[in-house]
Amino acid sequence: MSIMQHHSDASLLENWRTINIDALDPESSSNFDTSTLHPAFAPVDENEIRTLGQQVRQLLRSGDAEGALRGALEGAPYGGDEAVKDLHLQTVTEVLQGIKASEMSPMLKRIFTSEGGGEALDVLMKYLYKGMASSTTRSVTSPTKPSMLSPQMTGGFSQMGGRPTPRNENDGAAMSVLLSWHEKVVEVAGLGCVGRCMSDWRKV
Amino acid sequence: MSQSLRPYLQCVRSSLTSALCLSNFASQTSERHNVPEIEAQTSPEVLLNPLTVARNENERVFIEPSINSVRISIKIKQADEIEHILVHKFTRFLTQRAEAFFILRRKPVKGYDISFLITNFHTEEMLKHKLVDFIIQFMEEVDKEISEMKLFLNARARFVAESFLTPFD
Repeated sequence: MSIMQHHSDASLLENWRTINIDALDPESSSNFDTSTLHPAFAPVDENEIRTLGQQVRQLLRSGDAEGALRGALEGAPYGGDEAVKDLHLQTVTEVLQGIKASEMSPMLKRIFTSEGGGEALDVLMKYLYKGMASSTTRSVTSPTKPSMLSPQMTGGFSQMGGRPTPRNENDGAAMSVLLSWHEKVVEVAGLGCVGRCMSDWRKV
Repeated sequence: MSQSLRPYLQCVRSSLTSALCLSNFASQTSERHNVPEIEAQTSPEVLLNPLTVARNENERVFIEPSINSVRISIKIKQADEIEHILVHKFTRFLTQRAEAFFILRRKPVKGYDISFLITNFHTEEMLKHKLVDFIIQFMEEVDKEISEMKLFLNARARFVAESFLTPFD
């Protein structure tokens, strides 16, 4: 059998030259099991997080914003699946949006100086980054369909990915809340907060 | 500087400053090699959690840190199709000259317009705060540059159209 024939048999996607053989070797460093680096997290039930969210919202409505924020940060579901984590992210973002800009700094200082406050701010930082990441991915997936049509509509420029659709102002406003929180947290807790957020295996 | 641009750049600055804590780290898969771990992706334990900083859905920065390298990807604001084309041309111009830029990545990460790759050798040779300043300044300048080019393009198009249509006047 000639090489040519062999080559045509394998489709381009299954080209053996492109196979990452390290992934098939159990001894390879690319198969390092990262779950051995941290203790296992207790699984979190969705109902648990739902009730916690309700309690937090109750606190927020009754005017205890600091208690609401602390409660939301201390109940972070590390062991939950994506749906549970998203649910809790929503709760945290709601709390963050419900707090006035003038109250941010004094509240963060109070939390930071109290017991376990540094930890709480680390968790808050994780939520700020997650909030910024999730709202962009969510909105990026939605306008893909109209942008696929755009090259036909315009005729030319087919090499362009597509026209960016006009964005809603709502999204930018939510983001600027997160950005100003981020600035305040760095002011209070320092840059180490960002570093711990990058290196921590306890993902929110 | 507009109201929401300042916290955005400040956030990028603090995230970058803490991400740029790099050390020399030789490859674990091939002996006597030293590769940026974030590109090789061969050792999952040395990759850190990626961070996203976003101003809105069309303007964001993606920072992927690892033990010896950081990859920074920027999505530049594109309000309409002309800006889209200008950004495409502009970033292509830069990436084709990546050799002279040291930290510029030859190809942007998927979903972003331009990427930088900073390794521990860059942080050893150059000053860290200057590297951060460079990225921030780039982000400030690129928006200005693109809107300037757009205005210039419109003025030029008007002039061309006028001189083209004079014989039919």
